[in-house]
Amino acid sequence: MSGHRRLQWVALGLLATLLPAIDTGMPLSWGAICLMALTGLKLREARSRSELRRSSLLLLVIIGVMAALLPGLGPSLIQLLTTLLALSSLLALELGGALQLRTLLGRSLRLLGAALPLVLVLFLLVPRVGPIWTVPMGQTARTGLSDRLDTGSIANLVAVDTPAARISFASEAPPPPEARYWRVLTLHSFDGQRWERLPGEDSLNALIPAAAGAPMASTREQFWLAEPTLLPMLPWSGQGQPLDPELRISPDGVLLNNRPPIERRAYGFTNLSAPAAWKRQPPRDAALELPAGINPRLQALGQEWKATYAPADRVAAAQRWFLSQPFRYTTQPGLLPGPDAVDAFLFDTRIGFCEHFASGFTALMRAAGVPARIVLGYQGGDWVPQVGGGGYLDVRQSDAHAWSEVWLADQGWVQVDPTAWVSPVRISAGQPISAGQAPRQFSPLGWALLQWRGIDLRWTGWVMGFSRQDQRALIERLLGTRHEWLGLLLVAALALCLGVVLPLMRWTQRRRDADALRRELDRCLQRLQGLGLEPLPGEDLGSFCHRAGQQRPDLDAVLDELARTYLRQRFEPPQPQDQRQASSQRLRRLRHQLTRSPAAAPSPQG
Amino acid sequence: MLWTVPVQSVSPQRVIEHVSKVLLGKEQQIRLAVACLLARGHLLIEDLPGMGKTTLAEALARCFGLEFKRVHFTSDLLPADLTGIGVLETGSGSFSFQPGPLFSQVLLADEINRASPRTQSALLEAMASGRVSVDGTSHELPIPFFVIATQNGLDQTGTAPLPESQLDRFLMRLTLGFPERQAELALLSGQAMRPEQLPALLTPADLLALQQQATAQHAEPSLLAYVLDLVELSRQGSFGASPLSPRAAQSLLAAARAWSLLEGRDFVIPADVQAVLPSVCEHRMDDGEPVGTNGAGASEAGSWSQRLLAGVDGLR
Repeated sequence: MSGHRRLQWVALGLLATLLPAIDTGMPLSWGAICLMALTGLKLREARSRSELRRSSLLLLVIIGVMAALLPGLGPSLIQLLTTLLALSSLLALELGGALQLRTLLGRSLRLLGAALPLVLVLFLLVPRVGPIWTVPMGQTARTGLSDRLDTGSIANLVAVDTPAARISFASEAPPPPEARYWRVLTLHSFDGQRWERLPGEDSLNALIPAAAGAPMASTREQFWLAEPTLLPMLPWSGQGQPLDPELRISPDGVLLNNRPPIERRAYGFTNLSAPAAWKRQPPRDAALELPAGINPRLQALGQEWKATYAPADRVAAAQRWFLSQPFRYTTQPGLLPGPDAVDAFLFDTRIGFCEHFASGFTALMRAAGVPARIVLGYQGGDWVPQVGGGGYLDVRQSDAHAWSEVWLADQGWVQVDPTAWVSPVRISAGQPISAGQAPRQFSPLGWALLQWRGIDLRWTGWVMGFSRQDQRALIERLLGTRHEWLGLLLVAALALCLGVVLPLMRWTQRRRDADALRRELDRCLQRLQGLGLEPLPGEDLGSFCHRAGQQRPDLDAVLDELARTYLRQRFEPPQPQDQRQASSQRLRRLRHQLTRSPAAAPSPQG
Repeated sequence: MLWTVPVQSVSPQRVIEHVSKVLLGKEQQIRLAVACLLARGHLLIEDLPGMGKTTLAEALARCFGLEFKRVHFTSDLLPADLTGIGVLETGSGSFSFQPGPLFSQVLLADEINRASPRTQSALLEAMASGRVSVDGTSHELPIPFFVIATQNGLDQTGTAPLPESQLDRFLMRLTLGFPERQAELALLSGQAMRPEQLPALLTPADLLALQQQATAQHAEPSLLAYVLDLVELSRQGSFGASPLSPRAAQSLLAAARAWSLLEGRDFVIPADVQAVLPSVCEHRMDDGEPVGTNGAGASEAGSWSQRLLAGVDGLR
């Protein structure tokens, strides 16, 4: 099998490793799979140069499709590698297999390097086409938070240690552990046992546009990369404005994802210190609803507080009550009986986890006449310092948490986490929710993985975070309002790239070739010196080789070819690259012949 | 070395072969003379009388199909004897120009160092400018115009040495030297052809085309660097010779280009430079003092050049 064909097979194989990652629900991914199958078949049966060339080009097309499907850092690196291999095989094909693999790869690498300014210009200046950038990025959705709260549903999650999100901060310092609450969704509807979202809660007309309020600041103070979930919401801190105006905040303070939830989503926030508008949104009627006749003890206690305290003091009363009762935090609370499950937890078993506490507290508040709701999200996250400064907060699915919010007329929505009263360690130490789970241990592999995820986060921040708005800002800074010049600027930039980089490449190539040639000659001369053949001062190669050939008639032919090859290569008008490369290799072959030749001429007598 | 020779419509190689039939055993000198002609330079031959200078000049002229004239320079030769004069025509009463022997395509100027400096100067000015002014009128010399001058050694009586500035006008200086015994035997046994027997192998137009081709020979930057290294070495005070001028460098390159054409290549290699360097540079370095004109002087003549060539790395 010839070299370039092998290269193509390796490239195809590498691309195939990306297959499990792409989302088969996308029409485009089926196109990619078909193309890969086609290329494989083509490679098997290809005989002529043009067919092999076609399969190489097909490979490049597949890489392009893959790049649209899988933009992450890992897939990007694989795509880069396959591009390198496909280019090398093309080069090998065009140069007739004259080059060695190392030279081929080096040359392809230089080609890619030369394309880099072009890539940069295209990336920065070519106007984004919306649909391409918003095609689902082909990550299969994984289980995350559920959009309902039921007995055991979060306890199931805690065992899952898969990544949920990564957060980096412009200030480089993460918030303290007790402030690491990342909200995802709110639950209003309660049937006495189960909390659910209100139907039609995220209907479009009920949204606060993200850009409402303070004027848009351009600095990104917080950057998120959320893994795909099944939910149409994204985790966030509840503070600040999303930089992407397509992201909306519901009146409940839920960040709604405008894209299919199966893709990994990158988004940034600014104005973190500004007051959040959703906190002043008056409560819905549902925030006070309690099913009548269920959980009577809870209702009674609530009524008592309602009669005794002002609304603001009822929360403090609930805190006192929770602390006075023997509540215990556990992930194995066991099943709670019947329709009065919350009563059973609050007054009988008194063991549970965040879900139970949040549920009990919220129901109590409603009974006491304070509008309240459940918030589902993540709490905590590990700070991963990055090699080379900075770091990111690694939020895992095991950080899933449930807490409450109560509406106080003078303060708006106030966050209350009853779990923190009962088990403050769980919150402040950032302990995983499951007490039985062993703390994460240091392992080199795990450390490397965390570092890699950090690099991936930064890459995503640069590449995927470069939004249409950033681009518009850049163009405006470059051109002001004269958008009609954009095309011209683009053409000029491209022309500059082609006009500077290509001649530069040719120049360095020629110089390198010449130098390689000279190095090869010097090696030959060294070898000849070892045979006792040395040029006279000032002697030119032709006369030297002729003279040496007379001394060593057995080497005459080799020396003559050596001189001719070198001189032709060196002083001829510039030749196509493949010829130059071929002469270099011929020189190398001659040197090997010289190396193999005996130290002294074989005497004619034998 | 064998080179794959590109097919040429007109081959200077055939000229060299034919001239060699006339001037036996002097192929190297003939080749240099042809290179000099192809490089559009003039040739100075230093040698004793009877060594075949005239034969060479005449044979070259015939083979290239050029018009040939010969002037023997004497101490009383006047510039007008070379250039020609205005003659009063009795009919019209006006002067008409009678061109002198200078108006030929190949001029053999015999024993140029016997003429007075004034006459030498007139010849050399014509060589440099390609035209002659008589009575205030400028007359163009024919194209091609090729001067082969000969001179005797200074030890011979009644000679005026050419000044350095005028030596510089000659692209090459050659010595023919005595023929080898074998060649002389052939000469004595009448095997040599006479110049008149040579056919015209080329036309003047062919010569112009070849001259054109010679100037277009490819010279890589590394070769130019070699030429410059050579020239710069001659300019170092410690070297001892008269420094080579930029014109000398130009001449060296031009001659090397023509030589490479004769070798059948379309690019110049250091060997070409080395081949022409003694002829092109020796007379510019030895302070205009011609060395002995006997055959034994040939090795002496190469001395500066050899030192120069040995002083610069020829492996490029």
